Amino acid sequence: MEVILMSETYEHYEAVVVGAGPGGAATAAKLADEGIETLVLERGVDAGAKNVSGGLLYAEQSAPYTIDDLFPDIRAAATERPITEYYMQNVAGEKVKEYDLTSLHEHDTAWSDAVLRRRMDSWLAERVHERTRETGGGLLTGIHANGLLRENGEIVGVTCDEIDPIRADLIVAADGVNSELARDAGLMDWDEPEEWFQGVKATVDMPAVDDRFGIEPDEGVAHLFSGDLFEGVRGGGFLYTNTDSLSIGAVFHLDSLVEERAEPHELLNALLTHPLLARWLGEEYTEVEYAAKLVPDSKKVAHTSPHKDRLVLVGDAAGQMQAQGPIIKGMNHAVSAGALAAEAFATAKRRNNPESAGKRYERKLKESGVMKKLRPKRYERLRPIGEREKTTDVVDRLLTSPIGRVGLKAMDSIGLVERLYSSPFMSMSIPDTRTPYVTLPTVIAEELGAPVRDRSTVEPPSLEERIGELTYDTDIGNPHIRLRDSSVEASGTAVSACPVSATDFGGGCYREETITTNGDTKHVVSLDTQPCIECGTCAVVADTDWEHPGGGKGVEFTRG
Amino acid sequence: MAELDPSEYTIAELGPEIKEIEDVATLEEVLEAERNTKDREGAKTLLESRIEKFSEDDDADVGDLDLSEMSVADLGNALQDIDEMETLESLLEREAEEQNRDSATRLIESRIDSVAGSGESDIEQTQQSPEEKHPELDHPTADKGHVRALENGTYRDMWVYCETQSGALLDVSKEMLGKARRLMDEYNENYDANERVVAVVIGNDVAGLAEETIGYGADVAVYYEDDRLDRFRHTPYTEIFADMARSGGDWRDYDEPRYTLFPATNNGRDLSAQVQAELDSGLASDCSGLYIEESVISNPVKTGRPGENKTFERVLHMKRPDFSGFEYSTILCLDNPAREFHPQGASVIPGSFELPAFDGDREGQLVEHELALDPEWLQVEVIAYDRLDTGVDLSDHDVVVALGRGIGDDPTHGMELGVELADTFEDAGVGVSRGIVTGSYDFAGHIEGYTHEERQIGETGQVVAPKLYIAAGISGAIQHKVGMDESETIIAVNTDPDARIRDFSDYFIEGDLFEVLPQLTAALKAGELDLKAVADGGVGADDGGDTDE
Repeated sequence: MEVILMSETYEHYEAVVVGAGPGGAATAAKLADEGIETLVLERGVDAGAKNVSGGLLYAEQSAPYTIDDLFPDIRAAATERPITEYYMQNVAGEKVKEYDLTSLHEHDTAWSDAVLRRRMDSWLAERVHERTRETGGGLLTGIHANGLLRENGEIVGVTCDEIDPIRADLIVAADGVNSELARDAGLMDWDEPEEWFQGVKATVDMPAVDDRFGIEPDEGVAHLFSGDLFEGVRGGGFLYTNTDSLSIGAVFHLDSLVEERAEPHELLNALLTHPLLARWLGEEYTEVEYAAKLVPDSKKVAHTSPHKDRLVLVGDAAGQMQAQGPIIKGMNHAVSAGALAAEAFATAKRRNNPESAGKRYERKLKESGVMKKLRPKRYERLRPIGEREKTTDVVDRLLTSPIGRVGLKAMDSIGLVERLYSSPFMSMSIPDTRTPYVTLPTVIAEELGAPVRDRSTVEPPSLEERIGELTYDTDIGNPHIRLRDSSVEASGTAVSACPVSATDFGGGCYREETITTNGDTKHVVSLDTQPCIECGTCAVVADTDWEHPGGGKGVEFTRG
Repeated sequence: MAELDPSEYTIAELGPEIKEIEDVATLEEVLEAERNTKDREGAKTLLESRIEKFSEDDDADVGDLDLSEMSVADLGNALQDIDEMETLESLLEREAEEQNRDSATRLIESRIDSVAGSGESDIEQTQQSPEEKHPELDHPTADKGHVRALENGTYRDMWVYCETQSGALLDVSKEMLGKARRLMDEYNENYDANERVVAVVIGNDVAGLAEETIGYGADVAVYYEDDRLDRFRHTPYTEIFADMARSGGDWRDYDEPRYTLFPATNNGRDLSAQVQAELDSGLASDCSGLYIEESVISNPVKTGRPGENKTFERVLHMKRPDFSGFEYSTILCLDNPAREFHPQGASVIPGSFELPAFDGDREGQLVEHELALDPEWLQVEVIAYDRLDTGVDLSDHDVVVALGRGIGDDPTHGMELGVELADTFEDAGVGVSRGIVTGSYDFAGHIEGYTHEERQIGETGQVVAPKLYIAAGISGAIQHKVGMDESETIIAVNTDPDARIRDFSDYFIEGDLFEVLPQLTAALKAGELDLKAVADGGVGADDGGDTDE
């Protein structure tokens, strides 16, 4: 009863948008353009301080909205380089076979830029603040919206760590992959590792990008890496050229990471130190930031009905992240979805029926074709066959057999492999097994690849150094993650899967410890959230109570 | 072509660029140029709103107001610009003829009243006391014994209430003195004045502390001491401060302070509210920013005449965080035409300003205030008090022995070895790394107290700089380093020769703390600490060459 009485006096806005990434920014900008009073809450000290990306920013020709529709100056002001070349590197040991996938990259693409999220998101946030202020709202940083405000069981607003709850007619959860609002609403969960990817990334200082890659300032290169780089863990690597730095990272299927008990930072190191990268990285290796994030697999988790009461989910919070083979698109879909949600609310409000915004948003996602990209029918159809262990074995055996190898060579000789890779339809139906990620690229490289002659001198920093280089504002005495079950069985996986923890490393978040009590020896897991980079991995693989740190607290990314 | 080419500017740059342009025609040209070049929505909005702004000014000539087209709200806004009685009366007539809306008529009439009213001088009206004005109400404060607000009072100086605790000035008292010094130096320069910083110290045996305030920036230190004032009490402290502020004295020639500052501590908040009320002024509580400048005010309550601006000089601007600190309000304490609000007072959040350096050579005047303490004021007795445990302070030991996760094989025994080693020094404390505090180790009861957060060294714990820092089983993460790397001498014991701590240790002993610590303890007890011997003693020397001294 108390809540109901009190909530009547809470501040009210027409719309409240939680999260100032591209999804939240697009939603808020579109809402403001529609004259809707919009408040944006961002938990970072600055927008982008919590955001990292392992992808490129795309403007799709077929998209209902692109980011430059909403923020016309973005490319000049806030992105890094246009990506004009796009390659796939198949790696087996030191043999590499390169395919040029630029045509796949350019399929349906108006433009595509490499981005660093701190720079981009903070620029977007300033624009959003200017525009939302016009309508009586604005953007507040350092505010952590931690859950939903309900009245008679219905969602009517958000609650925050720092300020009183806020009521709104539209609540937009654009709070990222670990959306507390989506989880509070029961729309998303953290249960299944196979629904998620984990990405780890190093931003590497490189003043002479043009020389190293033989490109002009208005050109850029992306390389994808697959094959036997990652000790059998399913996943792939990427390298993008920024203005004067490189983003190099790897994205793994979380279930595979868990199964292999692999250490993500070591897998990243395997890529960084591979001789193939030596020609780009050269002698001097200066890593300026280590980061990680969880990535939803839209094929499995993109919510087909991402709304409830007055709440709508946008971007990663709704699982809207398309990672299908060499197609990696997230930010663009978040932008489309955000603008569609805003459009839906504006229409609903005009029709005097603001409650219908969610349904309208859902319909717009379908009609605009966004949902079809996120959850391709081809994948749904093929998945039951493609992902069965037996099928995988048969295909793998065929591929690795002399016959398969000969066939591959024959296919390659007429350019068929590159064409197949370049087919967006093939990419969208790639099954999530080791075949496309490991076996096929490895066989390709073994049979068709040429050995790399460079030697790598790269010495990546230790995990301790990587943590030490990051900026934290620790919320002393108020850890944002609590271990519910400290047994190794329940939470031990986090020791390896957490990107800032490692077996036998005492300076990370998760550490395995041996306790001897009265002669009884017990293995347990302990947790220190100080080094946490807020990726959310442990929320999936361990038994925790997980929430984001309070506004402005926790890690602060300067590159992202 | 417009004289300004908008396409040369980003939207952010365009704003300041057109700020100077007020000519609507020019703005229209720029807008047209934008349409023909980049056609940015943001830029167009910017220009359009500017055009709108200055177009509005033009049609402040209201003869052509079309009442039938205007909502009542529009009318209300338009009326604000009309001062001519004739125009207003013709509007009233037209409204009656055309739509005859009650609300619109009321608006026009009230504007007529206010325009007519402002012709007379409000100030001339006799000010009634609240009792005379509202005889139907209770007036519980009618018998308030203090002096009412002054008329034509003279106000000078910035007074700073300096709170003390356990025989020392609080840091916030010094912070306020430093800030007051800077404010008044600037003030004296700007206004060619010679006003002072006055420190107020009240308590038992505080003459020395009063003198100390001069070293932190006070020109005058007024103090009152009495052994009955050893603890803060609301009534006597308030009475004394208010008396100081009101009474004369040969050291001053004004009625009351111009400005007063109090610390926003528990006692300071308590005192500040009552003192400012006693002096019949206001208080801006919990401020974090202060500056003095003039302020142009249009509020008729302050100016006395609606529609007129009045410049208030020497206004203390008091910034305070609102809404959990994401917005700031600036509070001004301004005189009304018929009532003076002085001193302009604020309480200041500790830590808002820099701690000034102590300057023993500064000179100032020490004034003991005289006042007989009324026993009535002392009716509230403090019968007991307790000083809260501030936890363990490791920063004042000569030696700190710190333990890290290297104790993992046998945590209790590892801690014991550290404590034993610390005991062999005359003045040593035991600290731990964050890894211990957040670990799940089970410690035996007698040692557990050493492993709590209050002994944590590092970024999120204590920062220490002892003569000797012994780090056993600590890898040396940056978060730990910042808590100890100012130590004079650092000895690290670690099994891993690549441990980061080696980079900032003076001596590095490669070895297991379970073997090394007992040897160190034994050597110290024997009175001869030869690190080389310890290192050579079978635990593996660091061949980096650091150990031979």
